[in-house]
Amino acid sequence: MKKIIIILLSLFLLMSFAFSANAKSLKFAFMPGIADPFYFTMEKGAKAKAKELGVQLIVGEFPKAWGPEYQVPILKALVARGDIDLLFTAPTSTEALIPVLKEIHDSGIPVITVDTYIGDGDYSKPSKYSFPLSYIGTDNFLGGQTVAGALAIMLKGKGKVFLENTNPDTSSVINREKGFRAGLKIFPDMELVGVEYCLDVQETAAAQVSAALQKHPDLAAVFGVNVFSAQGAYQAVARSGLQGAVKIATWDATQTLIQALKKGEVDLILAQMPAEMGALCVEWGVKYLKEGAKIPRKVIPGFFIFTKDNVNDPEAQQYIYK
Amino acid sequence: MIGNQKARHIFLSLIRRWIFFFFAAEIVFFSITGTNYFSLKNLQNILLASTTVLLLATGETFVIITGGIDLSVGFVVGLSSVVCAKVMVDLEAAGLSQTLSISSGIIAALILGLLPGLVNGLLVANFRVPPFVATFGMYGIAYGSAEIICNNVPVHNLPTSVASMGHGYLFYWLPGKAFTFLSKPENLTRMELKDLISIIPNVTMITFLAIGVFAFILAKTKFGQHTYAIGGCTTAAERAGVNVKNHLIKVYMISSFFASLAGVMYVLRFITGRAPAGSARLLDAVVAVVIGGASLYGGTGTILGTVIGALIIGALEIGLVNLAIPTYNLHIAVGCILILAVLVDQFSPELVHRED
Repeated sequence: MKKIIIILLSLFLLMSFAFSANAKSLKFAFMPGIADPFYFTMEKGAKAKAKELGVQLIVGEFPKAWGPEYQVPILKALVARGDIDLLFTAPTSTEALIPVLKEIHDSGIPVITVDTYIGDGDYSKPSKYSFPLSYIGTDNFLGGQTVAGALAIMLKGKGKVFLENTNPDTSSVINREKGFRAGLKIFPDMELVGVEYCLDVQETAAAQVSAALQKHPDLAAVFGVNVFSAQGAYQAVARSGLQGAVKIATWDATQTLIQALKKGEVDLILAQMPAEMGALCVEWGVKYLKEGAKIPRKVIPGFFIFTKDNVNDPEAQQYIYK
Repeated sequence: MIGNQKARHIFLSLIRRWIFFFFAAEIVFFSITGTNYFSLKNLQNILLASTTVLLLATGETFVIITGGIDLSVGFVVGLSSVVCAKVMVDLEAAGLSQTLSISSGIIAALILGLLPGLVNGLLVANFRVPPFVATFGMYGIAYGSAEIICNNVPVHNLPTSVASMGHGYLFYWLPGKAFTFLSKPENLTRMELKDLISIIPNVTMITFLAIGVFAFILAKTKFGQHTYAIGGCTTAAERAGVNVKNHLIKVYMISSFFASLAGVMYVLRFITGRAPAGSARLLDAVVAVVIGGASLYGGTGTILGTVIGALIIGALEIGLVNLAIPTYNLHIAVGCILILAVLVDQFSPELVHRED
């Protein structure tokens, strides 16, 4: 018995040595919003940067569906490890995540929100949600406006359009909608005939767009705000045999959507820069923790517009999500 | 010979309690391999993350003991969360105080939550609709109603105290400086906040209070005895004077009550009401009941077993996140445990009967 105890104790000692040996490097945690190519690409970008800067990156389980009930338990389990120096996450709700992230912040872990934010995303003014170091993500409003403009040009400034959105309580997609509405206002003959929310379920998006096509046979274009709504939208259009007649604008340059663009099922794709977002989180995090640098409260990487004309350009390939 | 029989008896009763050993082994395993897995914070996380499964599974235990099943609970959670949140938001907008709006929301959700159970019970008991069909129908009805009530948009802008209730703890302890009940000590510095130890989440306390009361009812009261009797043999129970129809209705209402309580807890935890809130947890709840030793044929099962079953799933889920292992492994692991549970049940009929 004694022997066993001695062996066990020495094992524990060994293990604690092993752990303390790599305790010096910074440890960042990344909590994604949902399992999709956008966040996979972000993870890759973050991992590459972490390797470069010698940061250990722990990635939380990718939630199977979008929503605080899927994300929060994983997030809590992730930070309960207690060995994390900084967290960057895409909050799945502007409100529900405020107290959760606040608790993490209060326990001494600085928080960066990436792609989505909490509250209204303005962390520069004091408020109950202004504690995150920074919001790193696309200017979704500007992106929405850009898509509206590009569609209007494609349709020669005239036609009915439909918006397929995902979650009414997620900052990023709501701003795309706002930007899209604002962008359309510039063109007096462009009309937004409807908005639906598919809650990130592709089948729902397909059904909603099918219904819109029934209701508005002269529909000229659909804008699907993310991977699921866009893929659902083009399935619905393809099923009705209206490819080409109904233009589809989408967001996020996933492999599937790029293939669809090449086949002519989709006409316009706004590519964000998820890999860059991930890398920026790691880079600014290191600067903040090691050099005490002041991080801008908002960091906005740009975006890239894919159409049939440039999808095969060599310099465009880097914007495809991998 | 006698010694042999005694050893056999001990051996068999150990097998019957295998889930306790399994649960303990699981905690030990993750504590050694994980990072700070065995810490107050993380163990409380496991309890919090298991809230919905614990509540659903407790209600489901009653139904499964009677030989039925309740598939509606997943979406009753959503319905209740939406009603609860909506009432809170509307009443506060109408000028009522936060306390009043919040308590009205909770009460409204809990009362409305009894309705699906009442209908399920009537269908199963009086109209002899198979439980699987009746409750599956209710599953769709509850989901659709929730979507209609919230207009397919999660309910937001809840009264601000909901967050402090749902994320609050029973005790706060700042070692050597302060110990407070229900609210954090005031005027803490940033460093002190870091050292603050929070003990027993409010949500977990309410959850276990409800589970405790119903564990008592199942184990120690006539109502509990009748529940087992119906599951063992309905006709025998009838002959013994149990009002089977009436009893079944109550059992389905208990299940529905726990689902709506889970909906209320959802609102407290996530400060929003969503129609699909509990749907992902329905099967976990059934699995927890079966792992906990209940037979789907009825007649056996305990709340303690169910609680352990639910915690086995929760501890595994959090453990895999702690080790940063993708959770599809969780599904495999839970699947294996489930099949193991049923196999133990199948091959040890004498154990089951001895317990009765």
